Amino acid sequence: MTAGRVAVITGAASGIGDTCARRLSENGWRVAGLDLNPCKTDLSMTVDVTDRDAVAAAVDETHAQFGAIDLLVTAAGYDERIPVEEITRASWDRMLSVLLGGTVNACAAVLPHMRRQGSGCIVAISSELGLAGSEDNVHYATAKGAVIGFVKALALECAGDGINVNSVAPGPTDTPLLEPGSPWRDPAYLATLPLRRLVRPEEIAAIVAFLADEGTFFCGEVLSPNAGAVI
Amino acid sequence: MPAPLDDAPVALVTGAAQGLGHAIATRLAHDGHRVVVNDIVASDPLTELADRIGGIAVAADVADPDQVTALVSEVDERIGCIDVLVANHAAMAMAPFLDMDPATWWHMIEVNLSGTFRLIQAVLPGMRATGTGRIVIVASEAGVVGMRNATAYSASKGGLIALTKSLARELAPEGIVTNAIAPSFVDTPQLQVDAGDAGVSIEEIRSRSAALVPLGRIARTEEIAAVAAFLAGPGAGSLVGQVLQPNGGTTRTRA
Repeated sequence: MTAGRVAVITGAASGIGDTCARRLSENGWRVAGLDLNPCKTDLSMTVDVTDRDAVAAAVDETHAQFGAIDLLVTAAGYDERIPVEEITRASWDRMLSVLLGGTVNACAAVLPHMRRQGSGCIVAISSELGLAGSEDNVHYATAKGAVIGFVKALALECAGDGINVNSVAPGPTDTPLLEPGSPWRDPAYLATLPLRRLVRPEEIAAIVAFLADEGTFFCGEVLSPNAGAVI
Repeated sequence: MPAPLDDAPVALVTGAAQGLGHAIATRLAHDGHRVVVNDIVASDPLTELADRIGGIAVAADVADPDQVTALVSEVDERIGCIDVLVANHAAMAMAPFLDMDPATWWHMIEVNLSGTFRLIQAVLPGMRATGTGRIVIVASEAGVVGMRNATAYSASKGGLIALTKSLARELAPEGIVTNAIAPSFVDTPQLQVDAGDAGVSIEEIRSRSAALVPLGRIARTEEIAAVAAFLAGPGAGSLVGQVLQPNGGTTRTRA
């Protein structure tokens, strides 16, 4: 049923983006990966998501090669753990540019194609930190919270166009973003989670695939696979 | 539909004679579950559904503790312990708040909220024995954002959401995950009841409801059944105490 459908994934070179790309490929999707690093996708494009023109050009190239844009997954992101008084203007701006601006740029690039098709699905990867806050990375939590607000608004704006816009807000997930010494890998922290373990990237990919295939009545929804970190 | 495998997981779906429960049972069978369909009384539609999906039908009133115990015992004896519970049964009556008589109020709390409590108590020993389980509670948007002239129904559904979240915390360490679904407008036989209450045609009710939904239509039962099936399946293992809202965007008040 999904054979030949076309997905654009930002941040597809590693972590959640890479796992989503592999899952969708297994399901028969053709996948274009946009990342600063090379992606193991059908089409890989080196793009900085903060560069609106470059993102638009990459999406247009995907459409030119594959003939459609059916799904966008925005997974590009990075983390930086510093106390609020040490967050410089530059690091604040960069965090918002990549997480929020990158999401906006990718959505703006795919929407004309999806509107022309009269169908489409957008899944923005946010974070449970955007729902419930966090210590030591308030710029990250702020940007992810803004992504959630953006998704809810965009969902309403696109609801009449046959385009579903939703967000997946993962909890701490076992990806390279959580470095070996990360406090989220600390057994004392894991013991506080009702599920007692990190979220697996495959579980995020499964939810993304579900939204793309069968999430047809979700509109501005935030699904949060988070092992019970935020209930 | 091919017969399910003997070792396939067992799913119990309540309120399965029609509407959403019917669709969920059908979908779970399609996904390979052995399905037990339950409703308050035995009926031809319930039996026909069970026959068609290779499952079994067991009637029981979830408001009656003895009948709930008997239901789960019968399932245990006939096909084994329950791996997936989809609590979908509901009683629904509408009235302005001051016109709601206490008997009607308590009936909805009894069926919707306490009935689910009893079901979970009855199925948990089996889930604990296997160290795995999925509990899917069909709540309602009314339990999240409220619903005019439906205080009792909304209170029961809001109670189910709080139950979901608390139970999820309690059971997740054991490998049993609990989540809820909060649909809004769904194309079920309840629409016919709503149409009768409003004195209009079912088409009129469909179109009035669709006008309140940003997506411009009401949900098909299959769309909500897909959400239930996902929560019952392997991809949902890190969703703990979540309320999934396939509602077409109705969170914001439109009328």
